[in-house]
Amino acid sequence: MADPRVEELLKRPLYVYDLPQELLSTLTTKTGTQDIAEQTPEPTPKDPELAAQESAIASSTLCSLCNVTYRNVEEQRGHVRSDHHRYNIKTQLRGNAPLDEAQFVKAVGELDESISGSESSESDDDEAEGGTDTTLTALLKRQAKLSGSPEEATTTVQGGTAKQPLFWLSSSGLPSNKSLGVYRAIFSNIEQDEPGHLVDTLRKKQLAPIKARTNKAQAQQSPPDSSPHIFMCMIGGGHFAAMLVSLAPEIHRKQGGVEERQARVIAHKTFHRYTTRRKQGGSQSASDASRGAAHSAGSSLRRYNEAALEKDIRELLADWKEMIDSSELLFIRATGKTNKRILFEKYDNHVLKQNDPRLRGFPFNTRRATQGELMRCFKELTRVKVSEIDEAALAAAAAAAEAKKKEESKPSTPRRQPQKPKLSKEEEEALLHTSQIQALIRRSKVPALMSYLSNNSIPSSFTFTPADSTQNFRSPTPLHLAANLDAPAVVAALLTRAGADPTIANTEGRTPFELAGDRPTRDAFRISRHELGESKWDWAVAKVPSAVSKTDADSRAERERKAAEEEETSRRKFDLERLKKEDAEREAHQRASKGGRALGAVEKTAAEKRDEETRGMTPEMRMRLERERRARAAEERFRRMQNN
Amino acid sequence: MAVRAQFENSNEVGVFARLTNSYAIVAVGASENFYSVFESELQDVIPICHATIAGTRIVGRLTVGNKNGLLVPTTTTDQELQHLRNTLPDAVKIQRIEERLSALGNVICCNDHVAIVHPDLERETEEIIADVLGVEVFRQTVADNVLTGSYMALSNQGGIVHPKTSIRDQDELSSLLQVPLVAGSVNRGSPVVGAGMVVNDWLAVTGLDTTATELSVIESVFRLGEMAPGGAGAAGPNKESIVESFY
Repeated sequence: MADPRVEELLKRPLYVYDLPQELLSTLTTKTGTQDIAEQTPEPTPKDPELAAQESAIASSTLCSLCNVTYRNVEEQRGHVRSDHHRYNIKTQLRGNAPLDEAQFVKAVGELDESISGSESSESDDDEAEGGTDTTLTALLKRQAKLSGSPEEATTTVQGGTAKQPLFWLSSSGLPSNKSLGVYRAIFSNIEQDEPGHLVDTLRKKQLAPIKARTNKAQAQQSPPDSSPHIFMCMIGGGHFAAMLVSLAPEIHRKQGGVEERQARVIAHKTFHRYTTRRKQGGSQSASDASRGAAHSAGSSLRRYNEAALEKDIRELLADWKEMIDSSELLFIRATGKTNKRILFEKYDNHVLKQNDPRLRGFPFNTRRATQGELMRCFKELTRVKVSEIDEAALAAAAAAAEAKKKEESKPSTPRRQPQKPKLSKEEEEALLHTSQIQALIRRSKVPALMSYLSNNSIPSSFTFTPADSTQNFRSPTPLHLAANLDAPAVVAALLTRAGADPTIANTEGRTPFELAGDRPTRDAFRISRHELGESKWDWAVAKVPSAVSKTDADSRAERERKAAEEEETSRRKFDLERLKKEDAEREAHQRASKGGRALGAVEKTAAEKRDEETRGMTPEMRMRLERERRARAAEERFRRMQNN
Repeated sequence: MAVRAQFENSNEVGVFARLTNSYAIVAVGASENFYSVFESELQDVIPICHATIAGTRIVGRLTVGNKNGLLVPTTTTDQELQHLRNTLPDAVKIQRIEERLSALGNVICCNDHVAIVHPDLERETEEIIADVLGVEVFRQTVADNVLTGSYMALSNQGGIVHPKTSIRDQDELSSLLQVPLVAGSVNRGSPVVGAGMVVNDWLAVTGLDTTATELSVIESVFRLGEMAPGGAGAAGPNKESIVESFY
């Protein structure tokens, strides 16, 4: 069933908007396969051609390191910039023998085979600069014998029906275990909702590649045309990168008639400003907002730079407005409030809107906002993922996982049972009552407690369960607890209305009365004794002293209060006198020390003082002050009369 | 014009100063003698800036610049950066670089048109160098040494490289840079020509130990003599100040 021709196609990176006809005609949507790992296709190098350019004609000058000749300075400079030369410089520094051109090309070719399937390598046929760099790094790494064996595509088994970032397709021309993945994000919202028509949509999206223009034509900026394009931008940490890229690929004819597909960038721009705080991190504006504005040289630089970055970006967006408005999709990465605000805030002529249906995030991790990173993201988004996975193995794995889950869930219930023996209904009820009653007593809710006791017909002999907990050890009954918490109202209510037994001793052999910590609580016991009568309980056993009537207790409390008050007033009087004496002494002392100079501080008469106070006041305020003063005097008079 | 100077008993002039065609940066020293040498030659021609970088005085090794711009390492404090900004001409772009190889003066050697840099420099740094300094950037070594900035002194007129650079390497570099190059030494045989001297199109300052022979080589390759374009014999924009300095 597998068509070798179609399989051959998968060896090259597939571009979503320009799929080969053979493959496209056989595509079908996969259903119920969320768990397919992706396989990065092999990158194809472009360096051989680049290096080949330099070896064309022999000339007077020669790069002794690489054994490459060139005719003029331009060629020499081109060579010095080439990967071959840079590679040789690094090898030489390592003490290895430099490679000549043929060897280098071969080495790159081998590298290409060996790093296939490695996740970190990127294909570099779209971009010259970033691509060659990675190839070079990879080659050097290999030289240092750092690169391991090619990684196996790992199978990640995910459960759940969450939205998957990829749509999976299968093709009749491919073996059944191969699937093709396309990012969900590249479809419009409506298209996403109809996964059934996915293949049709994909067919409609195909674009004919454009032939590359000659160098001259390229040199003059290509005018914005109407071909479908997308807008991508990233912003973060003072870096900003934006790109308008055409979806129609461009065909470049390389030396030797090799046709190469490249992404056509309509416009791109990057900015970098120093906005993040050194060592502390975070933006200056965030720091200002949380900690108040700092006045350091650095902070003002950053503040200025933030403003400048915002201005730059908005100007750029305004410049590109026409193209952005006609973009098919907007891929934007802007994390954080500040970054979002720069792009989406409603300023004059704002271009991007938060609620735009074309808006997308990048459905994968992105790095620092650079042109190279945007290009990588574009490639990642538009490349068809190829996954090779055995359906049968997958099903087996799923079954195994299911079985395991069952196994796990089974022992979990019996395991819990021995820990907590099954509680009888009564015990459960008692537990519930305990917690309820304790809560009510703690909050001194007397009426609620009484109604709870009567509603649930809890006997007066109720004891808290479980009896062995530390708290219930000390206060096993509600009365104990109330006495312990010094809640006289609760104690009185429990004794008189609920008929609680005051003679019960706790495990330490103490009656509730002995737990009472203050006078009112103890009085509550004695009042209850008075009210209930001597015969009700054996009060001696309860260790409650002689009964007092409520009025007696109240009058005693009143007496005590008065005594305390009197003591307080006398103390205050004494203190006041002492202060007055001290003041007088101090004044006398000052007068003595100051001598004649104290003349200015002559004692003022009361009338003078009042005059001074009211100086500068409006008549209304003066009247109010006067009224208050009189009221105070009247109160004072009343108080004196009462005292006498 | 080539002059000798010393920074607090050290001959490594290139360590404590950075000289370009549009400004000079001099380390803050205990005495003003070193500064006076620059002042006597450059006063009223280009601004001279007293500065520290990251709190150190080795400004020549930490920074790199030409008439278009100045690059400083990431360790530069905000205050220092602002001081530089306030002192240097507005046309000079100043940029702080986040680069692992933070002694930029050691790893980058440039004139107003080209720069020879350490092969391990980050790509981003390379781009910043090209943008800020307005130069073409080449990753090269000088006499198999990666510290291009230390072993090479370069101006628009010429350059001097490590004394043990082979003739072939000199020719290659010279062709790449499009300036005459010569292998030479400074400070009585020191091979670190980049750190031992500073040079621009009309002035070279070397260590006090530099011999007459070394000085004559320097004057000839940088064309600092009488008949040089910037020299006293020719009509240059700086002629008057230089003539003045003679009398």
